[in-house]
Amino acid sequence: MSIDDRALEQLTEESQDLHADAQRASAGPLAELTERGLERRAAGEDDVEANRAFAAERSRVARSRGFFSKGALAGVGFGAALLALMESPAYADQTADVQILQTAASIENLAVATYTLALTLPFIGGDSANVTIKNFAITTARQHEQHGIAFNALVTKLGGKAQTAPDPVLQGLVNQAKPGLTSPLPVVNLAILLEQAAEETYVANITALADENARVVTASIMGVEAQHAATLLAVRELLVGLQADLIVLPPPDLMALPPALGSVGFPEAFVTTQDARPSTEGVVK
Amino acid sequence: MRFGRRKDVMHISEAQLTAMTANLDGMHQQALPEMHAAVSKWSEKLRDGVRQAGTHQSSRRGFLVGSGVALGGVALAACGGTDSAKPPTTTTSAGKPPAKSAPTAVQVGMLAAALENTAVLTYATALKAAQSGKLGPVPPAISTFITTVMQQHQDHADAWNAALPSANKVGKQVDTTVMDLVVTPAIANVKDIVGVATLALQLENAAAATYQKSLQQLQDVQQLQLPASIQPVEMQHAAILSFVLGQYPVPDAFSITDAARPTTDHIGNA
Repeated sequence: MSIDDRALEQLTEESQDLHADAQRASAGPLAELTERGLERRAAGEDDVEANRAFAAERSRVARSRGFFSKGALAGVGFGAALLALMESPAYADQTADVQILQTAASIENLAVATYTLALTLPFIGGDSANVTIKNFAITTARQHEQHGIAFNALVTKLGGKAQTAPDPVLQGLVNQAKPGLTSPLPVVNLAILLEQAAEETYVANITALADENARVVTASIMGVEAQHAATLLAVRELLVGLQADLIVLPPPDLMALPPALGSVGFPEAFVTTQDARPSTEGVVK
Repeated sequence: MRFGRRKDVMHISEAQLTAMTANLDGMHQQALPEMHAAVSKWSEKLRDGVRQAGTHQSSRRGFLVGSGVALGGVALAACGGTDSAKPPTTTTSAGKPPAKSAPTAVQVGMLAAALENTAVLTYATALKAAQSGKLGPVPPAISTFITTVMQQHQDHADAWNAALPSANKVGKQVDTTVMDLVVTPAIANVKDIVGVATLALQLENAAAATYQKSLQQLQDVQQLQLPASIQPVEMQHAAILSFVLGQYPVPDAFSITDAARPTTDHIGNA
């Protein structure tokens, strides 16, 4: 494996600069969102009943679509607890937007924790790890942290309580997966699961959020999660094909990349939302 | 990036292309029900508008305002008929953009369809050039990328055309502003697959940004589902292209809309 550490450092720096630029770009909508949310609330424009009805409908649709029917989610066994959580009157006084945003923050919190955990594993964050994968884990954890901050900023400005805990259902999946994280592949598989759950949840949230500016921020994040997933799917393809030496930026030899690398990153022409997390799954208890 | 090794060079035949496309069909089928639902919601909203406009002339503006979209030239055409002999455009009949007004849902849909057609045409042109050997050896992964992504863009274009009212369907027309200013000059200078990937990345970023922007422009929540289901896919295309070009695949923590195309872009035949 030929790794140009200086080039990687430079890429990381460039990425961080871009990241900072993007953060600055998102600061405007975020500030606007919170202002407008507060103004609307002050003017009594938030239709709490309508939001509750919407949240109830989304939860109903979520259940009828069988959110727990696919893949690893099927084996979680949290279904009953989740249903109880969604129907609990303890959360009925929160507007749907706040619930949705708290759940989004909880997904981000879990992503940060999971990438951080992964970086403690020698084959991800150690000296012998693939530097590109390590760099990706570090950068992605930081990006998720920024997403979490953004979602929580929206929550608090809209009158809710910031969510600092991880999504409880997805946390269960991570806990289940932990003993099996003995090589890069299962770690990548777990990360793909979390990224796709985030992506699908935010796509679903676009039509669920009542606040325009909450949609603006969510729209600026959902595609980023999709890119994380696409990159991880490509990395998985190379790991499965025993071509980890090609996981380098820039790729050392384009001709050697497997044909499937050109398609695995985007398995569908349209994002489906079957695995979107229910809007109340990550509300502050 | 090296192209030195000639092993596994893929010269794409018609048969191979057909087989690859057939393989993709299965994957596309999975996403179709949700896409159809999104298209249906979009069309339903537009039909509601047309119906209201037809029965209550005075309420036409009410519908447009009520659904949060401003009254623009194309929206008038959608509600009251249009000159089908003229290529649809997102400019007004006076040839000027509907300044200071939010674009209508129809304008957003037409721009999206035209951008998708532009991408399809660009990838098809690249594929033809690759098949003729003009781009040198084409890595197998890039061949797969082009055929896969071209089909996905075609699916997107089909979805938009299905959602648009009959009078405003874009068909195979492209965004001629993008073609004239970006694609045609770039294609003229492309000599290798890196050049193609660079152009493609520009188009994918523009498409993603345009969809993201549309989520701010469209006011009817029911109409957000279709662009929301496509924007991440364009971002994924961009991520893989970035990787191929040696760039970090997820450069920003928050995607921005600077590269979004305006609905004042011209739409016409390529």
